[in-house]
Amino acid sequence: MTDYTVSSARMEFDKFIIPTVTIFILALLFFFMMFPLWMILKLSFFEGGELALANFTLSNFKQYFTTAYTLRSLWHSLYVSGVTTVIVTIIIFFFAYALTRTTIANKTFFRNIIMLPLVAPSIVQALALIYLFGRNGLITSHLFQTDWNIYGATGIIVSEVLYCLPHAFVILFTTLSAVDIRLDEAAESLGASPFKVFTRITLPSAKYGIISAAALTFNLTITDFGNPVVIGGNYSVLATEIYAQVTNLYRFDLGATISIILLVPSLGAFMLNYYISRKSFSMISGAARPFIPPTRRLKKILYSVYCYLIAFSIIMIFTTVIIGSFVKVWPYDWTLTLAHYSFPSIGGYSAIWTSVWISLIVGVVGSFITLVAAYAMETRQPYFKQVVYFFSVMPAAIPGLVMGLGYILAFNKPYYWFYGTPWIIVINIVICNFTLGILSSVSNLKNIDPSIEEASISLGGDTLSTFFKIIFPLSRVAFIQNFTYFFMRSMTTISAVIFLVSATVHLAAIEIIMLDNDGWTASANAMCTCIIVIVFVMLGILHLVNKWAGKTPSTEMVSG
Amino acid sequence: MSKNLVLKNISKSFGSLIAVDNVNLTVAPGEFVCFLGPSGCGKTTLLRIITGFEFQTSGDISYGDKNLNNVIPQKRDFGIVFQSYALFPNMTVSQNIAFGLTMRKMPQNLLNKRVDEMLELMGLTEWKAHYPSQLSGGQQQRVALARAIAIKPNVLLLDEPLSALDAKIRVRLRAVIKRLQHELGITMIYVTHDQEEALSMADRVVVMREGQLRQVGSPWEIYKHPKTSFIAEFVGTSNFYEGHIKDSHVIYGKYSFEVSEIDKVDSEKIYLAIRPEDIEIVGTTIASDECVASNIVEVRTELVTFLGAVVSITVNLEGKEMIVDIAQKEFAKKPVKEKESLYLYFPPDAFHVYSEIFKKLI
Ligand SMILES: Nc1ncnc2c1ncn2[C@@H]1O[C@H](COP(=O)(O)OP(=O)(O)O)[C@@H](O)[C@H]1O
Ligand SMILES: [Mg+2]
Repeated sequence: MTDYTVSSARMEFDKFIIPTVTIFILALLFFFMMFPLWMILKLSFFEGGELALANFTLSNFKQYFTTAYTLRSLWHSLYVSGVTTVIVTIIIFFFAYALTRTTIANKTFFRNIIMLPLVAPSIVQALALIYLFGRNGLITSHLFQTDWNIYGATGIIVSEVLYCLPHAFVILFTTLSAVDIRLDEAAESLGASPFKVFTRITLPSAKYGIISAAALTFNLTITDFGNPVVIGGNYSVLATEIYAQVTNLYRFDLGATISIILLVPSLGAFMLNYYISRKSFSMISGAARPFIPPTRRLKKILYSVYCYLIAFSIIMIFTTVIIGSFVKVWPYDWTLTLAHYSFPSIGGYSAIWTSVWISLIVGVVGSFITLVAAYAMETRQPYFKQVVYFFSVMPAAIPGLVMGLGYILAFNKPYYWFYGTPWIIVINIVICNFTLGILSSVSNLKNIDPSIEEASISLGGDTLSTFFKIIFPLSRVAFIQNFTYFFMRSMTTISAVIFLVSATVHLAAIEIIMLDNDGWTASANAMCTCIIVIVFVMLGILHLVNKWAGKTPSTEMVSG
Repeated sequence: MSKNLVLKNISKSFGSLIAVDNVNLTVAPGEFVCFLGPSGCGKTTLLRIITGFEFQTSGDISYGDKNLNNVIPQKRDFGIVFQSYALFPNMTVSQNIAFGLTMRKMPQNLLNKRVDEMLELMGLTEWKAHYPSQLSGGQQQRVALARAIAIKPNVLLLDEPLSALDAKIRVRLRAVIKRLQHELGITMIYVTHDQEEALSMADRVVVMREGQLRQVGSPWEIYKHPKTSFIAEFVGTSNFYEGHIKDSHVIYGKYSFEVSEIDKVDSEKIYLAIRPEDIEIVGTTIASDECVASNIVEVRTELVTFLGAVVSITVNLEGKEMIVDIAQKEFAKKPVKEKESLYLYFPPDAFHVYSEIFKKLI
């Protein structure tokens, strides 16, 4: 009865698409994630990195743990991360509480400001703190003329706190918006004091969010490289120790060993966070935003002041770095100048352009490949769904610095043509940020009615047509969001790529460290400012694109 | 080109759950078959096996002389209409309808012609440039129908296509689907849990329960001769009474009824079923000799409910409730009041007898 039929050859071909894509994704993750990790493991546990029973050795670990000079980096890391975690969790809990449970004004402003740290490399905090509280700091030496300065543990902790705020905020804000406020009211109406309500109802009901935010903060702090390398001074942490061993002493084996040591707590924190957020996710899904009863006057004022203080700290970080890049000699000569923008290093503006086009490629490739991978996983007949899922979530658990070192060990061979080119950086950033990309793609695909895919198939649609004509267009908003994420991460990441820049490939975020290291602090600020501006410009463009793409057809047509 | 769709011993289990249990069915070309059954009885699963989206655990499915067991959905040439419409939100009405034709690489001029035909047929021409989100539910489902029949499918499969719509539109679309089926002679399999839909549309109704086909027949047959007590209750509704057989009569309490079907059951204990509308009202009084004639009983009315076209009277029969439906017109002639005595007549052929009763009724 059918006059034109679905081509049989096309359908034969179609059978291979999902398996091929799945194998390709798995191969990618194996080659660019598991293989580098394996090289690190090998180098730390085997003499000369040669895999043989006779070569097995724990001497690297023994050396690390018996040398006081290196061992302290572990204690430093644990101390700094522990303290940061406690501070961030407490600060953000009350901040999120203010934004979800009280009727303070300017909530949108606070929400935007708290997210600000995401647009800059995790070095901006350290740069600003040095300008304010450093040896020649505006506040320390200029205002109070004291010798005290912030270098060392204090500096790391303060900068990490300011860097981790947005990450922890997202989690606790979600948790606190979801927990039913009527519980609090019910308890209050039964005569419980506000303090009792808080400790007995509010805190316990947010416990998963609190643990999850704490675990994430710990993970972010212990794996961060940018802030400690700038403000740590002689106070070494695991991340800076890895870098020092590799770049200063050429001790790749010790670098690999410390990487393994770093992996243990960061992996633990990641797994705790992952486990907890899965658990709490089921609790908060589908909850409606409740009505918030008016907050008592005093409470409202206190919370407002609190939120303004935090917002002020973040704004101060950014203004310090930006102003610092435009004045002649901070904090002595406030004459405005553009001198710091003629970058003295070899990288200079070319580093910025390289960063921009690498980030554009990372944005497109990253969001596309995670969407394809998510589709292959969520399609009607997936292959190895659980395996793909497992390996897709893994990158988030691996510190960027460790992955970077793994890349050197794995790919620094003449036959890997991409080593030393921008392409290895593109691959590295995509892989390092694979997890969030795929998770958001999966949740987007889950919102598409499965019948839509079946409708396409029943009409003769093959995998490619279904994907390109239906799934992809329907995912465009999620695609743009993912692009934004990949672009931002690519512009601002330091630890993932610090080992991968070369004499010919420079990146803006890495240039900040190089400039700072060579004493060009103001230029480091200028470079940082450039990144911030570029990210903001891109966010503006994407906001417009998103508005255009998110518009449903119904708003642009009038029904007859 | 007339081919039968044949299901042979089709079973499907999900783990330990048997969703479809040994189904045998032949659907003739041009036939309109309805799968009717309560939610969870396996209708959708059976339909999905036919479409190829689900694979049977055992059994064979064939179309004409072609075995479909290993044929992918794309190659089955079956059109599907989903409850959720499943229109492509990013495509206009025309583009939606054209999708299947594009996949078949139909030349553009023929394609345009076919799309226009479909738009015309479904009364959608003025909406052709609209997106699904701009249409009402009823219009969207018409687009889904047009999209499915545009490819001239061998069989059109519809899974509760109307259950997301309001009652009025549902009735209108029923007529649209029925007309399509007549005009185009498409073989249709229509899944529903709504007995009215099944009875009014189908050539043949397949009543399903717990994954099994319990009765297959014309709507008339199913309604008039329900094979099991479940069907007697699920399709339409029935009053049920437990009794036993004595002297070729059914004894219920103090009554003894003459029942035409009495030989159908040989168990001692039996269940009697009678539909509310099959019961006749004799009057509030009777001539004394009439009572002797069997199957006339005196009852007390409890509740009279006016339902529009019919009036439903609840009476008490030996302590058990009985529903009697009479046409509003009849009622007007012989009104019945609450809490009074009433004589009813049970025609012997209106009774159905069953040796078992499905558990929900006890
Ligand atoms: N993919 C599946 N996995 C497990 N059980 C299923 C699946 N699909 C359907 N079932 C079960 O099979 C039974 C029949 O389901 P279904 O065919 O959807 O019934 P209906 O369409 O008649 O409501 C139900 O008990 C349902 O829970
Ligand atoms: Mg169903």
